[in-house]
Amino acid sequence: MSSNPTSISSVLNRNLVFIHGKGGVGKTAVSHALSLSLAKNQNTLWVTIEDPTLPAEPIRQLGPRLWHLNSEFTPAFEEYASLKIGVSHLTRLFLKNKVIRYLAHAAPGIHDLVLLGKIWSERTQYSHVVVDMPSTGYGLAFFQSAENFSKLFRGGPLHRDAEAMLETFRDPYSSGHLIVALPEEMPLRESIELNEFLLHLFPKNPAAFLINRVFPAGPKGLNEWSEEIDPDFSAPPQSWKSPFAKSATDYVLKRAELENFNKRIWQDLGISFGELPYLPPPSADDPFALSHLLAEQLRNKAYV
Amino acid sequence: MNPSIDEIIKQRRIIITCGTGGVGKTTLSAAIAIRAALLGKRAVVVTIDPAKRLANSLGLDQLQDTPTDLTPQIQEAWKKIRTTFPESALQSGLPEPNEMKMGTLAAIIPDTRRTFENFVNDLSPSPQVANKVMNNPIFQIFAREFSGTNEYMALERLYSLYKQDKYDCIILDTPPSRNTLAFLNAPKLLAQFFEEKLIRWLVLPTNKLFSAGMKKALSILERLTGAGFMTHLFDFANALFEVQINFTANLKKITSLLESPSAGFLIVTTPTADTNQEIQHFLKVLKEHQFHYDGAILNRMMGLFDIKTTPIGFESPFAVIRERQNRERQALENLVRQPSSICAKIPELARDVHSVEDLLHVAMALHHSALCSI
Repeated sequence: MSSNPTSISSVLNRNLVFIHGKGGVGKTAVSHALSLSLAKNQNTLWVTIEDPTLPAEPIRQLGPRLWHLNSEFTPAFEEYASLKIGVSHLTRLFLKNKVIRYLAHAAPGIHDLVLLGKIWSERTQYSHVVVDMPSTGYGLAFFQSAENFSKLFRGGPLHRDAEAMLETFRDPYSSGHLIVALPEEMPLRESIELNEFLLHLFPKNPAAFLINRVFPAGPKGLNEWSEEIDPDFSAPPQSWKSPFAKSATDYVLKRAELENFNKRIWQDLGISFGELPYLPPPSADDPFALSHLLAEQLRNKAYV
Repeated sequence: MNPSIDEIIKQRRIIITCGTGGVGKTTLSAAIAIRAALLGKRAVVVTIDPAKRLANSLGLDQLQDTPTDLTPQIQEAWKKIRTTFPESALQSGLPEPNEMKMGTLAAIIPDTRRTFENFVNDLSPSPQVANKVMNNPIFQIFAREFSGTNEYMALERLYSLYKQDKYDCIILDTPPSRNTLAFLNAPKLLAQFFEEKLIRWLVLPTNKLFSAGMKKALSILERLTGAGFMTHLFDFANALFEVQINFTANLKKITSLLESPSAGFLIVTTPTADTNQEIQHFLKVLKEHQFHYDGAILNRMMGLFDIKTTPIGFESPFAVIRERQNRERQALENLVRQPSSICAKIPELARDVHSVEDLLHVAMALHHSALCSI
């Protein structure tokens, strides 16, 4: 672990920011919230990758200074091919060719490379590009394939593009990596693994950490609630007899204990992290309402 | 009528759990397997999970490609819980130790790379062809990263366990993904890769049979990727062509196993505004595949806590809990309007699952009578 931890605000204000983390930690909401915050002052593109719940390409404007791209393979591939081939009838011939279509869809890695390429090329058009990466395993595969293909396509223009792209992702002046985690043990442990993997790919561009959904704590001093809580409560969480809580009060107390316990582990490891509070989605009808609340939090905490 | 997990365990030899990342799929898969073992089944849980979370919750440092026997740990944990939590144990629907015909439980985290290599070996007409495939740089990337590979290898492993006849309840925890359906599409993705007609184009000698258009397209590809890649690609296509027939036969066997009444699908989800839509979509796609839907497990529920009053000083955490309970209530109202077959509701855990004993607590909560209304 780096002894000089990356400050969260320095990472979040870079041109290209990748939001990493395992499934269910709130990457989409955090990336959208960050985009909303950045768009207060500068042109910002929020990127999701093949999110089936959001409208597909093209880029659409969501508000003042804020755009959204739900990156999809086919249009990105066509765009890239026409950029590289140039001559329009050759591009058409290339794209319509059965074997090319087969390779484009079936060959692993091409897909990832093309989507990353699209994001990479958009970065020059905006002050900020915020990318909601696919969940841990698959998200890492994205960068790994760019690297593998760069090796495989020795010499061709694809190789040069892949290299230039990776150079940007490695460069702390151009791009940043944020790992979102929950204050629970396994998500925290997984984000440490994720960080190690990212450091291996981008050694000079360490990630920053953000702990999302920190549950509001109850009062200190537990004696008066003794009927509702476990007698073994003062022991570390793993020695509580059951993983379930006996009551809502028990849950609240244990949750606070658990989160403090887990955050202490990170502090002991010398990891610095930002925090966002647990906010229940304010409306079932507006899936983006939560992002606006989180955006306010990001600004209040001066992360953005 | 909502089925119970126990009925599903009795009825199916294969239970496949699907769901997006972060819903607790791995924990619940292990808990179902424990229940099956306590109900007398020879159970095995298979998880394809790069983060090795199952190993974690089973209290092991690392699971291996070969089955790890967890039967003694389950027996011990069950005895212990019966003394420490006698009431919950009584309500769990699980048999008392003296009346029990305890089954067995094994766990496997397959090494997908090795499974894939075995798979290629099996498909190849000769060891030479297998080597040719595996030494190709395109294959090496394919084996590691193709998004359908993990899923397909899970199915391969499932099929071989099914054939062995060593287990009568196989629980497959599908790989994590954003999309619940990614798993179901994997065979199709891989089948596309092995599509005969297209591979044939690449294995034809680069001469007369090629149209001018094909020549032009491939020369553009060569210009973009560099000559080395094209050589590897032709080699790879040649090798694929030789294993293609066996692959297609294999795919057919796997598909008909999944379509058979031996296999049932469960979805694990958390109750939110999108849950109903998610389940309905899942149902529809399963129907298209002619797979059997067995039900949904609602996990991480706050609504199972009974709150009458807010203790002084707890206003803000209780506000969060109440808000989530309202959310869940709305989600459930939507759910009951359409067929969804909720087979269990599990409360949000107060801490992480660390051991077989913890998993047993979850296994107990899977009981039908734990279905209190909120």
